[in-house]
Parts: sequence; C-alpha cells; structure tokens
Amino acid sequence: MRPRSAENSQAALCAAAGVLLLAAALASLLVGKYPLSLPALLGGDAGQLRVFLTLRLPRTLMAALGGFALGAAGYVFQTVFRNPLAAPDMIGVSSGASAGAAFAILFLPAVPFAVTAAAFTGGLLAVGVALGLSALAPGGKNGSIVLAGIAVHALAQTVLMALKLAADPERQLASIEYWIMGSLNAVTLGKIPFYCAVCLLALAGVFLLHRQIVLLSVEEGEARMLGVPVGRMRLLVLVLATLVVASVISVTGVISFIGLLAPHAARLLTRDNRLPTLALSGLLGGVLLLIADILARGAAATELPVSIFTSLIGAPFLLYLILKGNGGARHG
Amino acid sequence: MADSTPFLALSGISAGYGGKQVLRGVSFEARAGELTGLLGANGCGKTTLLKALCRQIPSAGTCLCGGADLSALSGRELGRRISYIPQRTGVGISLPALEVVLMGFNPRLGLLEQPSKAQEARALEALAAVGLAEAAYQDYQTLSEGQKQLCVLARAMVEDASLLLLDEPESSLDFPHRRRMMKLLTGMVSGREPGGDGTCPEKAGLVALHDPALALEFCRRLVLMKDGVCAAVLRPTEDGIPDMEAALSEIYGPVRLADLGENGRRRLAMLAKE
Repeated sequence: MRPRSAENSQAALCAAAGVLLLAAALASLLVGKYPLSLPALLGGDAGQLRVFLTLRLPRTLMAALGGFALGAAGYVFQTVFRNPLAAPDMIGVSSGASAGAAFAILFLPAVPFAVTAAAFTGGLLAVGVALGLSALAPGGKNGSIVLAGIAVHALAQTVLMALKLAADPERQLASIEYWIMGSLNAVTLGKIPFYCAVCLLALAGVFLLHRQIVLLSVEEGEARMLGVPVGRMRLLVLVLATLVVASVISVTGVISFIGLLAPHAARLLTRDNRLPTLALSGLLGGVLLLIADILARGAAATELPVSIFTSLIGAPFLLYLILKGNGGARHG
Repeated sequence: MADSTPFLALSGISAGYGGKQVLRGVSFEARAGELTGLLGANGCGKTTLLKALCRQIPSAGTCLCGGADLSALSGRELGRRISYIPQRTGVGISLPALEVVLMGFNPRLGLLEQPSKAQEARALEALAAVGLAEAAYQDYQTLSEGQKQLCVLARAMVEDASLLLLDEPESSLDFPHRRRMMKLLTGMVSGREPGGDGTCPEKAGLVALHDPALALEFCRRLVLMKDGVCAAVLRPTEDGIPDMEAALSEIYGPVRLADLGENGRRRLAMLAKE
C-alpha cells in the first residue's frame, strides 16, 4: 500500500469511529426511561433539564470515556504482552476491584462513595502485589508478570468468595453480584470527577508514550539494545493502563469484553499497531459501551447489566471481522 | 585503513545459563573498520558471546570498546553504542517495515520524541540500500524471513552504532542476498555505506556466521570458537593456507582450502576432505 493512502485510510477510519461515537453519545443522551427531546431541552423545560444533567449527562460521559479507556487499555496490554488474549483483567485489576467493592458493601455500608473508593483501591492493590511479586523473580520478564497476575487474580477471587459467603444473601450478596455484572445506572455527577480526572491523565500518558509501547512489544533483549529501559518503561506503562481501567470499573463495576474486543477490531481494520490503532481501539470501545448501555436501559422494563450487551454485540462483530479479514494483523 | 590499536578488546569473558558454563574465558581483539567473523560449530558459544556483550546474560571478564568498559555503561548508553541483530528478530506485531527501521533512531530520541522527517528519509534510504524500497509500507509480518533480516539490517544501518553485533544475519538469505548483506556490512563498518548522521566515525562489526565460505571472503579477521574459548584468530587475506586449514579442521573436521585467486586477490574456497 502507498504511504499516503494507508495513512489517509487510517485517519478516515478514526474519523468515522469518532462520528459514530458522537452519534451514539447523542442517542444515549436522549434515550431512556424518561425520553428527552432536543426542542424541549433547548426550550428550557426544567424537568427535562434535571433528568439531562443529573442522569443522562454523567451516564453518557462515563460510557463514552469508560469504553474509550477500556479499549485503549486493552491495546496496551495486548501490545506489551505480545498476546492477543491479553486483557486488562489479566494482571488482577478487575478481580481486585471486585473484592474491594464487596468489602465495602459488607463493611462500609454507610460511608458515601465507599464502594467506588474501595474498588479503586482494591484494583490498584492487586496489580501492585502482582507487579511486586514479579519483580522478585530474576529478570522480571513478561512471563513472570503474567504468572504473578494469575496468582493474584486467584487470590482476589478467593477473598471475593469468602466475602460473598459472609454476605447477607438478601441485600449484600445481590449488591455484590450486580456490581460485578457492571452497570452505568449508578453513575452520578458527584461520583465521577475524581475518577474521570485520573482516567484522563493516565490516558494522556498512554498516548504520549505510544511509541515506547510499540517498542515494548519487541523481544526484551532487542528492545534494550534499541535504548528502551524495558523494566522501568513496562512498569510505568502497566501502572498507567491499570489506573485507566481501575478508575473506570470502580465507578461502573466490571465491564467485560471491551478491553479484549476493541483493540482486535481496530487492528483488523488498520492492519497496523501505531498511534491510529490505539486511538481507534479507544473510539470503538466508546461506541460499543454507549450502544450496550442504551440497550441495557432500553431493552427491558428493568435495567439490565451492561456486560450482557457488550458481549452480545461484541462477539458477533468480532466473528464478522475475523471471517471478513484474510489473516488480519499480527499481535501476538 | 584502521590503525593498529584494537577498537574492541575482550579478555576472559565467561558466561553461561543457570549452572551451565558456556563461555570459559574468551579473549580476542578486533579492529575498527573491519568485519570480524565468529565461526564455530553449533553450541560453541557464538550466540552466548554476543548476548554477554550486550549484557543480556550476566558475564565475567572485561570488554573494552572504543576505550569504554561496556559493563560500566548505562543501559541507554549501551543501546546507543551497540547495534544488535539476534538470530530471529523479536518484532512480533504488525507494523510497516519503515516503522521497524525507524526504531533504530530510538536510542537518540527523547522519550516522547517522534522521528523527524529527515530521519524518515534516511530510513527509506536504508531500506532502498538493502533492496526493500518497494516494501517500505508493507506489514513487517508479511515479509519473508529473508526480507525481515534485510529490514532489520536497515534498522542497524540507521542506528549508526559503533559496535555491530550480528547473530547469523545471513541464515534465511539466498546466495545473492547473502553476498549483498555481507557487502553492506563491510561498507557499514568501513564507513562507506550511508548510515545515520555520521555521529560515529569508527565502527567495528562482530558477526557470527554459519557459512565459512562467506566468512573467508568478507571478514578481515576470523575468530574460531571451540568449547567456549577462542581457539584461533585467522586473517584470511594474509595467513598461510596450511595454517588456516589446520585451524579450520579443528572446528569443522578435516577441510581443504583452495585459492581461486582473481587479479592477484586471494579468494578462498573450503571443501571437506574426502
């Protein structure tokens, strides 16, 4: 492919995904239990404005940012670990966050925002333990990070199970289960500023370091000879990606599949791994979560877990891309 | 022509994997402007030596390169001075070939800095020099193994490091491409080939080779390795043929060298003795 046309087509893909994201966000702002209309909103209808500001706006912002963040973080994990099956949960962030949320549901029921804060702390703690353990292994290779992550994941699952056993089945257990299934239902304007700020800052770091992230995909010894301080850079990048994911799922609960799917879809479309692919991973993640969330609140009389729809839309889309693409881009 | 002081001096390099000792005190010298070939049977420690020199595995002994002790350099400085091409390159994700070549500029770029237009132009020149001009925007993963080796050679060209360490860079190449690669390498160390921006006037190349014929033709100096030590150092253009036959027979079994000289220049062929 000629350079111009390749770069133009990647830019066009990103632009198209951006337009799609805006359209999905607009739909997300208007659709729901209380349908809103643009004329009424612009006309200053007080009731509609209240719904818009307290419910729709934070929810839509969180869906767009959260989906973008999970998609971009998935790109980082798959690239750094050279593993197409790598996902943000691989080194323990989701299971740590789940255990943290369950802890707060059980023991801190009266503290405002405790579940979110505990989930955020739990996610970071789990990844911290995994990275710390892997640092003890000689060399600190990718493999030992993954293994330590698996161990910490198992440990966090055990903690979660113990907390579930101790939970009151009527209320607490249900809260834990709902949290794990993920929902944007509980997103309020008061809850999100801190987590959105963390997420945006960490995302900015990921985008600034994208060239180093690509270099980390090169075999370790070779990368070092290319002047990459592999150990420190990988730690920095993984911490940034973990902050991205933890800041989102501590607000929304565990959202499955986006971190795995969005980067795959992006690569199948661009057949590349440079900056536009990172951006496209995020944009597609945002579109997917916005649509999933619209369906979660619109498909049935009650609010459904958003992860049902991320998988339901995501899996066929991924299959379509695999069947359509001949071979696709390499990532592992 | 290089002067007589060694540019690269190895003394007593020992290394291994876990408890297994592979190198038992390797010592030799190499000159700037020359390609030095590493020859030896499989398992004699060629790859281990190259890995030890770029500190991928712990080692004992000293290696001086251009007056600096390699073990005392920071990781970044080491990356700036050494260009390393492993047997199989570890670029495992889809990227345009040009992007792989641009990685060669990384040791001299800031953490958040992007390669400049001028650097991109130089990367394209290097791709053209290795015969991959047409493939510059092709996905690296879709290149043949030989093309990948040439692409990584182009990366080493733009890296413009003072020490080239290459581990069987010719293994996937066909006959004409092997010769092309060796000519390019000779040009790179002697400063004739367009490399980076000329920041590094003196270069030496240490290249592990499978093919003794290639080594005899293109390397000014051959280091023969056996059982983790340097068994002999040969100068194919100067040394006596019987001496070289004896040294090479120590490694490859009984061999015969024939001089097929052209225009007064020695050209050696090696055959196994029947």
